[in-house]
Amino acid sequence: MSRLSFLLMIAVMASALYLVRTQYESRSLTTEIDRATSLARNLETENDRLDVERRAQATPLRVEKLAREQLHMRTITPAITQYATVSGAAASAPAEIRP
Amino acid sequence: MSSRSVQYTSSPLLASKTPIWRSQFIVAVIAAGFLGLVARAAYVQVIDNAFFKRQGTVRFVRTLDLPANRGRILDRHGNILASSVPVPSIWANPEDIERDPAKLKALAKLLAMSSADLDKKLQDEDKTFVWLKRQVDESVAKDIAALKIKGVYDRKEYKRIYPEGESVAHVVGFTNVENLGQEGVELTFNKALGGKAGSRRVIKDRLGRVVEDIGEMVPPVDGEDLQLSIDSKVQYFAYEKIKESVVTNKAVAGSVVVLDVKTGEVLALVNYPSYSPGKRGNLSGAQLRNRALTDTFEPGSTMKPLVVGLALEKGIVKPETLIQTAPGKLQMGTATITDAHPHGVLSVNEVIQKSSNVGTVKIALQMQPHDMWEMFTQVGLGQKPQVPFPGAVAGKVRAYKTWRPIEQATMSYGYGLSASLFQLAQAYTVFAHDGEMVPMSLVKTNQAVASGARVLSVQNATAIRNMLHMVTIQGGTAPKAQTMGYSVGGKTGTAHKVEGKGYASKKYRGFFVGIAPIDNPRIVVAVMVDEPTNGAYFGGDVAAPVFSQTVQQTLRMMGVQPDMAVKPQVMTKVEKESF
Repeated sequence: MSRLSFLLMIAVMASALYLVRTQYESRSLTTEIDRATSLARNLETENDRLDVERRAQATPLRVEKLAREQLHMRTITPAITQYATVSGAAASAPAEIRP
Repeated sequence: MSSRSVQYTSSPLLASKTPIWRSQFIVAVIAAGFLGLVARAAYVQVIDNAFFKRQGTVRFVRTLDLPANRGRILDRHGNILASSVPVPSIWANPEDIERDPAKLKALAKLLAMSSADLDKKLQDEDKTFVWLKRQVDESVAKDIAALKIKGVYDRKEYKRIYPEGESVAHVVGFTNVENLGQEGVELTFNKALGGKAGSRRVIKDRLGRVVEDIGEMVPPVDGEDLQLSIDSKVQYFAYEKIKESVVTNKAVAGSVVVLDVKTGEVLALVNYPSYSPGKRGNLSGAQLRNRALTDTFEPGSTMKPLVVGLALEKGIVKPETLIQTAPGKLQMGTATITDAHPHGVLSVNEVIQKSSNVGTVKIALQMQPHDMWEMFTQVGLGQKPQVPFPGAVAGKVRAYKTWRPIEQATMSYGYGLSASLFQLAQAYTVFAHDGEMVPMSLVKTNQAVASGARVLSVQNATAIRNMLHMVTIQGGTAPKAQTMGYSVGGKTGTAHKVEGKGYASKKYRGFFVGIAPIDNPRIVVAVMVDEPTNGAYFGGDVAAPVFSQTVQQTLRMMGVQPDMAVKPQVMTKVEKESF
């Protein structure tokens, strides 16, 4: 009887120690997850920030300025545009300006 | 020697001199102590358990706020018009700040404030939190961190960035430092954009790391992205053109509205002067005003096509019906209605083309006030536009029962009622959309063609478009509205500005509302130039050129093929492709 009690006590002790260990592991994993989540969030906001920055570099104002000043381009008009029609047979016909 | 055994227990030497009750007393006290402990244990664990649990929780459980991202505002092609990015904000704890004068001076300099102002903020030593400056640049925050002042910290906050700047300022609006919409779409759609913050209960360890989640997490609901119908290129172009016109005509302000007539979407809505939504120091009311929606004026001659449209619909006249407008004057009681030049006999087409007041009045007086009022109301005059904008006004159209004949007459050529530029543009969609009044939208609709309530028959809408086209050709009032490659039509308007109780003698407002291409309309463009003072002030001179350029670029960007012959200036030779 006393031997059984002793065995059970050992089992209880082992289980308790194991529980503590599991708890510890679970906590350190939670910390890891938390760190990863906040990293993901930071990357996401960084992505948003870069998106905005990219857009700021490509606003019509800037594009037009660069096109005019550096590339010496000019505003397009119908007079210097070729219009191509892309429907059926017309698709293979040469582009022409409608009368 | 005989030994006398002495019993240890009864040794008189060892016999206690203290009475027995004292040891019993000690035992009783210890027992009472244990009982006290048991009672305390019972109290802590059973009776007042909730209190102690709560106290424990307070010491290691933290509720973390999970902020929701504010939604972005996009244009119709998905370009970002407004987005939130995290930026540092500087705060201090006055209770334990290190008061080193040299360091504080450097800090004040970095924060762009005077040392006195900084001292004032840090004065109250009972406080444990005070903002020094919110939303500073990343580099400034780094410099401040490098100063290593104890008690000065930074914290990430979201700041709204508006990459397009001035051109879309009035449409998009802005948010305040708390990320709440204050103007424009930011204000109107504040709720949807804002989202809902979530929260999470966690246990933190000694180092401040999250080690365990407790209970359910409430996830944050990010604000929805809002896609507007605005085309940022059209918007930019219109802004540049109106700015140019306001500057060359030495005007006070100007506005342009571009509508897609097929879908009822607003492609551009610009005002000048404008402001940069990201930098809002020293803003004036003049810059902030979204004039296209908040300023009303008497629409003048731009009303004539509506009146004539109604007359066609009621069968009172036909486009070819002749009307005597000589001698260019019409007496009504004590009032005289005059034309700028006497024209003689004009067809209804020409009444619009030459913008004859007398001709229009003669047509209008054959109609019932009720019918005119109904027409005005159907095209949206006197009512707030459906586009959800803070401060949008309804304009004024008085109840028809109160109209006197002279008022009915003046209203037919646009005096005695008021409308905003947006309302005028909206009213002209009725001609452009073959007589139907499509609902306007500031949000992208994704539908190819919208339909609406019918106001005019297709035939009559086409007839009016033809008249509007005549305005822009030889003999009309606005040949400057013509644009290369595309047929256009529209109506000029020039109104004396109202000042106090009467009209200001030398202050005008020139405007133009037009449609293009005229046979298969795609856009309505309305332009207004306020108080031009550089000589020209007629709508045909100050507003029509802006219309012309805006139409040209907008249609090109929409991929609309020119419907008029253009003398090609293409240098390259096109080779015939083989089949």
